[in-house]
Parts: sequence; structure tokens; C-alpha cells
Amino acid sequence: MNRLPRSTCSAMTILALLLVGSLALAQDNYHVFISNEYGADISVLSGATNEIVGTITISGRPGDVRPRGMALSPDGKTVYVSISDFLPLRETLEDKVTAIDIATNEILTEIRAGGNPERVAVSPDGSRLWASLEAIAEGGAYDAVTGEELATFRIGIEPEGVAVSPDGRWVYLTAETTHTVAVIDAQELTTVKHFLVSNRPRVVVFSRDGSRAYVSGEIGGSVSVVDVSQHAVIGTAVMGLDSRPVGMALSPEGDHLYVAGGGTSAIYVIDTESLEVIKVIREQMGRRPWDVAVSPDGSTLYTSNGLSDSVSIIDTECLCVIDNISVGRGPHSIVIGVLPNAE
Amino acid sequence: MVSVVLLLAGFAGTALGQTPGVDLPIRIGALLPAVPESGGAPFDFAVAEAARLAAGMAADEFGFNSEILGLDFALLTEHAADTEALLEAAGRLIDEEGVFALLGGFGTEQALALSALAEERQIPFLNIGASSDSLRNEACSRFTFHFAPSDAMYLDALVGWFVRAGFRRWFFVHEDDPERESQYRRTTWSIRNRHFGAREVGRIALAPGTSDFGRAINAARRNDAEVILLLLEPEAQLAFLEQYETAGLEAQVTGFPDLGAQTRAFFLASRDAALKAGSGFRSTAWEATLDAYGARELNARFLGSFGSPMEYSAWAVLQAVKVLFEAATFGGLLEGEEVVAYLESSTSVFDVYKGIGISFRPWDHQLRQSIYLVDIRPEAEGPRDAVLLVGELPAIYMPRTDPVERLDQIGDTERESKCRF
Repeated sequence: MNRLPRSTCSAMTILALLLVGSLALAQDNYHVFISNEYGADISVLSGATNEIVGTITISGRPGDVRPRGMALSPDGKTVYVSISDFLPLRETLEDKVTAIDIATNEILTEIRAGGNPERVAVSPDGSRLWASLEAIAEGGAYDAVTGEELATFRIGIEPEGVAVSPDGRWVYLTAETTHTVAVIDAQELTTVKHFLVSNRPRVVVFSRDGSRAYVSGEIGGSVSVVDVSQHAVIGTAVMGLDSRPVGMALSPEGDHLYVAGGGTSAIYVIDTESLEVIKVIREQMGRRPWDVAVSPDGSTLYTSNGLSDSVSIIDTECLCVIDNISVGRGPHSIVIGVLPNAE
Repeated sequence: MVSVVLLLAGFAGTALGQTPGVDLPIRIGALLPAVPESGGAPFDFAVAEAARLAAGMAADEFGFNSEILGLDFALLTEHAADTEALLEAAGRLIDEEGVFALLGGFGTEQALALSALAEERQIPFLNIGASSDSLRNEACSRFTFHFAPSDAMYLDALVGWFVRAGFRRWFFVHEDDPERESQYRRTTWSIRNRHFGAREVGRIALAPGTSDFGRAINAARRNDAEVILLLLEPEAQLAFLEQYETAGLEAQVTGFPDLGAQTRAFFLASRDAALKAGSGFRSTAWEATLDAYGARELNARFLGSFGSPMEYSAWAVLQAVKVLFEAATFGGLLEGEEVVAYLESSTSVFDVYKGIGISFRPWDHQLRQSIYLVDIRPEAEGPRDAVLLVGELPAIYMPRTDPVERLDQIGDTERESKCRF
């Protein structure tokens, strides 16, 4: 396994990272972060060399402490990781969101988020964190600096996906078992509505202009397309009964939605205009891709493969796998951060 | 007496109001077994108590879902000791409470009675407790949907596991009644038609209530059986195992998973009756240690709420309510014919925590689903660690194969079905 010792990690020359979506960037100057839920660490992959350049230890108790969802701060300096354990109802000190300084791999702060936080999102101004609290059917809002819990919201049973609209006004949280999305007014800290989406909604992503949101429905085998101005489903991309969509990422132009097919070990490519599946990538894919991320220039996809402990690297031109890289145990989520000297 | 487990007033008109296309109250009727007095049959108690607890959990969870969606929902439960009382209660739920669907059917007799009532009143009925193949064939009804796996599904799964593990010489011990005879015939059909290389080496039919299994054990020994399938009531299975252990045979023994024989209480009793022979493989429709597909969270919620592992009957109650609730919310339907059409549609997919979107077979309304294989642990200390989950059939993770065909590997196919709606 390509994992460097912690001492090596600490010596990494990662200076700072900038938010992916806000920059025009050189092709290679980014790092890919992969949370390993069974290894209790985060693998850092170089976009330039496709090599592992570091491992950030979350806990010395792998198999007990469970890092899953991740988000990058807008200034790119911090990666937030939602951490829980494998016992959904046990309230432990592990239930938290941890902020890690990318430059030093050191933990900056730990924010208590009781209730098995599964995924996390950051507001566009970086001031607030939002977490889905799976065990208690709630979502939580937190001050990113002080860690203060600002509010909690009833979401539905088994909250999972969480995303903040690009203008910072709305927060969408999915509820797996209730099959709903909860809409939170991020300024007023109030619940606006709940609406049904596809069966077992997992992940939600907003389009760059904030007009649409996409919600993956794992058991429904589809992606619900939401008109954000109405908070209502306006279309559905049907991928098939056994497509198991989970993680998603949009191309920089927003014309393609890449969907991780979880248990099908496939990546689905959806045309966001026609909502048709234009390609299913299966050959040489790692097993159980749970999440997918797009490089800043849109040329490359990275998938976190939970059952093969690997990342598949996909060329978006040929829509084919060009490499598979060993990472930690049980890759769950994947995010990309851009180095500042890329500008 | 009607027990309104939870009745939540509608929230329509509030800021949260939105979405599902159903304005009328969603009322579901659950006909559950009466919980026996202490000292009664332990397995019946386990089944009934788990169902009762699950009804409370279903009321809470779907009450919560209804509240955030601005809907008016109630799960109305009745506990009936016999079929006459059951029908009376069911009629009351329909006429006075306005339920749009029923669930129940703990045993063939109750399921048949509720199926007939549902057909007469034109409302859907979800059978969650009767596995009899006759309900899915000659006695099928368009208004009845079978949440419980069929005899054929359990038996196909059992035969599949044992044959693949190398146990090919089958001996049968069954009660001499039509249902057990039917199970015997279905198993031998499965062996002949789906598992070449395996064969029946003998069988013995015993009068119900038989307590001396010496003749059956000797016959199994004479015929050099490799696996013995007990098509007996749970208590009779235990009695057989106790005598079999003393006889010292080496053949594997398993039994038909009647509801009582899928409970933790039965698994522990089996181990206690015969440490070696009673600690073998069993099939179940749900397993409390299932750790994938969101089942981890579901099982944890039940365990956390009640302190006991989720039995099959609990899972079935909860998931049947879920399916009916989703028919109302996703389909926006409460009228009998419309709900039936929704449930039987090939495009209606349900999530029952088994890791794959499932549907009802159009030819007999049987729910497609996996069956689990568990191994009773000799060293078990209590209900929580009573078994080890060792298998799933059909295996659902088989990318690039058709999921419906995958699930239809067990049970009666359309060609074999005698159901005509």
C-alpha cells in the first residue's frame, strides 16, 4: 500500500489549498483527499503524479473511529471531516467534525456534533458548518470558528447528504429512509420545507449557478433534479433499478454529472440537459465507488472505492479508467483541493 | 379494542406543508397476534411481542415522516386471538376507522381469511406472516400481496445452500398434514429440477404431535442421509434434535423456518436441546445482525428502543407499513384498485433494507427478496449473539446481471405459478 509514515506526511510541502470551484487553475496543482472509514485516516493523492503524498491520521483506533464525509474550507486551508463510530446509536466523544490544517496535518479544532455525523458541508463564506446527524434524524449548524452549535433541525430518518447553495442561502439535507430533502434557510436558521425525492436519497450537489440541485437515490436508481427556486423536483435521470447511485460531482461546465454507482462498481455519466445516461464506466473500475470528484480542469475523475481500498482515475475525454491507486482501508468520500501557486 | 398507536394531526397549511399528492388521512390497519400470557409458547410470544414493538416503532417513525411532510397518518393495531375475532376487528378497522390497507396474516388460516375480506372490500392486504404456497397459487387474490417469503423461496434457498456445500443425500421428516406434505413436495421438486446431483434418500411422515422420533432417526441412519430437513412445528423440531443428538448421527439437520423457528428464543432453545446438531444452519427472512444496506442503522434503532434484537416479525411489520406509506406518499393513492395497481407495477420499487430495490412479482404478488442463512452459535450467551449471519441467497451484489432475474432465482417462477388473478 502506498502510504507514507506520519513523519513524512508532516514534511509534506502542502502550503495551502484554495476552493476548487472558484479558480481558473493549472491542470496538475491539486491534491485529492480520500477519507478511509476503516483505516481512520485520510489519504492525500497528488494530482500531478497520481501518487500518494501523505496520510493524515484521524485516530489511532481504526475500525472503531470512522471518518466519512469531508468538505474543504473556501480558503482551501482546512479540510473538515465528519467523524463517528460504527455503532449508530452509541453516543460517544467520537461524534464530531474535525478541522485539519492542510499545511501541517494538525487538528485545528474539534466541533462536537453528537448523533453520528455522516457528512459535512461548509458555507461559501466559511463561517458555518453543516452536518447530517444520522442517528438522531437531525441536521446541525455550527460556527466554524468557535464550534458553537447554532441550531439543529429535524430532517427525517437517517440524514445523510448535506450541501449549501452557492449563494449561501439554502442548505439541503437528505433523509435516507424518509426519502426526503429538508430545505433550511441558512440565514434565518429555519426549516422551509421537506419534499420527496427518489428512494433512499444519499448525496446532494448544487449546480455552480445554484439554480439546480441533484439528489442521488440509491434504491430508486435515479437522480432527482431539483429547481432550487421552488425547492421542487422538476426532472429525474433514470439510471436503472440496480444502478445504486451515491456520490456525485459536476463537470466544471455543468454539462455532465458524474455519479458513483456504489455496489455496481460503475460510474454513470449523465448529460444534464437531456438527463440521459451517456456512458457507464465499468472496465477496470475499483469495487464499490462511493464518491467521485472532478479535477479543476475537468479532465480527470477520481473515485473512492470502498471495497478495493483504491482510487480509480478516469480520463473524461475517453471516459475510461487510466489508473488505479491503492489508498487506505475503506475509502468513503473524496474532495479536491488546489494548491495556491496554481494561479 | 382498537389501539391508536399514534395519531398525528395534519400539518397541512403550515410552512412545512408540501409535496405528496395525498390529502386524505393515511390510515393503515395492522392485525397482529395477541401476545400470549407469560408461560405460554415461548416462540409464539417472541413473534407476537416483536410485532407489537415494531408497530409502535412504525407509528413513531412514520408519524415523524408524516409530520414533516404535513400529512395526517395513523397506524391502527388490533390484536386478535382467533380468526373470528380477527375478521371482526378487520371489519371494524375498515368501516369505522377508514383504513386504506391491512397488514397481518400470522398463519395460513388468518391470511386466507384476511385475503378473502380484502377481496370482498376491495382494499389491499399485505400478508406478512404466512408462507404457505397455496396462498400464492390456487388461493391467490389480486388484492393480496405477500410480504412474507413463500415456502418455495425458503426451501429453494435451503436446498441451494446445502447442495452447494456438498450435502446431497436428503432425508425428510414431516408432519402428516397437507401443508407439510406440500413443503416436502416442493423441496423434492427443487432438488430434481434445480439442483442436479442431489437426491432424496428417504422420508417419513409422522402424525402431528408425535414426540418419539426414534423411527425417523433410524430411517435417516439406514439411508445414509447427509442432511435431514425437518418439516415440523418448532417445538417438534426441538424434540427431534434432542433425540437425534443422543443417537449420535453425523448428518446435518435443519428445519423449516416457521415464524417461531426464526426467533432468537428458538435458536437458543435449539442449541440447548442439542449442542452439536442444534447449532447448525437455519434460514431466516431477516437477521438482526445484518450490517449492510442501512440495516445496521435499522437494527440499531430497534435494539436501542427495545433492548432486544429485531426479529423477522418486527421487520415485517415495520417494512409493510413502509411500503403502504410509500404507496400513499409516492403514489398519492388511497383507493384500493389504485393502490393495488401501484404495488403490482414493475416500476414501483421499495426499499426494505435488503440492499436492493425490490418489487412484487406480477404473477403471484410475492415480494422479491433475499433469504439469509444463519449459523446457530454453540457458545452464544444470549439473544444478541445467538447466531452468525453466514449467507444471503440470492446474493444481490452481482453487477451486470438483471436484479429482477437475480431475485427470481428462488421461489415459483411465472411458468410454475398456478395463480390466476
